[in-house]
Amino acid sequence: MPTVTIHPTGEVIHLETGETVLSGLYRAGYSYTVGCRRGGCAICKVDCLAGEFAYDHPIADTVLSEDERTDGTCLSCRAVPTTDVTIELRGEDVRLVNPFLRQINEKARLRAQALAASPAGAVPKE
Amino acid sequence: MAVSRLGYAHVRVTDMAEAKDHYANTMGLYETHAEGNKTYYKAWDEWDHHSVVLEEGGVGLVKFGWKVDYSSDIDEIEKRATAFGVTVERMSKGENAEIGDGIRFTTPSDHVFEVYHEATCIGTEVGTHNPDAFPRHLVGVGVPALDHSLITAEDPGLMDRFLTAVFDFFPTERVQTSLDDDADIIATWMTSGNQIHQLAVLAGPQGKLHHFAFRLGDWVEVGRAADLFSMDDVPIDIGPTRHGITRGQTVYFFDPSGNRNEVFAGGYLAFRDRPMNVWTPDALGKGVFYHARELNDAFTSVLT
Ligand code: FES
Ligand SMILES: [Fe+2]
Repeated sequence: MPTVTIHPTGEVIHLETGETVLSGLYRAGYSYTVGCRRGGCAICKVDCLAGEFAYDHPIADTVLSEDERTDGTCLSCRAVPTTDVTIELRGEDVRLVNPFLRQINEKARLRAQALAASPAGAVPKE
Repeated sequence: MAVSRLGYAHVRVTDMAEAKDHYANTMGLYETHAEGNKTYYKAWDEWDHHSVVLEEGGVGLVKFGWKVDYSSDIDEIEKRATAFGVTVERMSKGENAEIGDGIRFTTPSDHVFEVYHEATCIGTEVGTHNPDAFPRHLVGVGVPALDHSLITAEDPGLMDRFLTAVFDFFPTERVQTSLDDDADIIATWMTSGNQIHQLAVLAGPQGKLHHFAFRLGDWVEVGRAADLFSMDDVPIDIGPTRHGITRGQTVYFFDPSGNRNEVFAGGYLAFRDRPMNVWTPDALGKGVFYHARELNDAFTSVLT
């Protein structure tokens, strides 16, 4: 299960498998400028500095140009990370609007990390 | 000469299966036809064959169809559009499923308009013989009809003149840079009859769609629609709230491809001789969202 690291603050967010960057950030209690949340308006673009992602829906040419498909532009409401990714927002910072969700996400991240590090099948204690 | 109404909105969707679920099961439109990558819908209180066409591939507006009262209106509009400097082409019956002969042109705002007089009449879902007030088994919001649209253009003033000269529309409300005679028009709400607006034009990029709206009856229906959007995980842009401009009650929301939709209720009656309401930018927040009284990030920037 991939993580999203937000540059330059270094926040790390745990994503569920198949989850988009936008959905992961909101589920971890964060907010930032978004519009349609459905891949149509191009407002939610961020830069992907490291890692890989794929789009879970076709993206219209009016939303992503040819260049933007290869230059690290990440349409965050449709981008599903396939590896850990590092992103940078364009001209703003994420805002923490639900600290309770942040705590839950942090626990889930640490648990997933411990699970990945432990011998196959072993479930670490809390 | 009279444009009757916005007859159809033909829009692009990225995923037809998701779009069909939204327009049929959440909005409650009736599918009347499907061919190739297109699906056609009508709302329950509409009689013509369709008012919404979805086309798979991309997002945003393909075109609007405007229905006129008399077939001679088509020739008249062709004459007027040509005189305005717009190139008009003829379209023939069947180019659009179940739509008759007409004309097609690209507006000064780079939107494609079609004008027609004939459409196959299917009838409303309650019929015309001793009809009931509404169909008993409406699905989801169960909107009765397509209502209006808002598009963007680099020069809304030019579109105001175009719609006046070619469609015989008149403005009911405007946003202007000031109250001076030489003020620039930032946005204009236009109609041909008593409906408060059929098309509004806001300053912005050429050829873009801000939203197209479905009609509802009152606040209660608008609130119920918003509840259904939460149940169906439809992203709500804003609302339920009121527009200061038009006085309509509203929810803005997005379809599964990111095209903005609206449900719109109320709005006062428009008359050609009613003095036009004028808004200035200092009150634009209140004009657009009467309760929040400020624009959200998305209002001027989120378009398809
Ligand atoms: S929020 Fe509209 S494209 Fe992502
Ligand atoms: Fe509207």
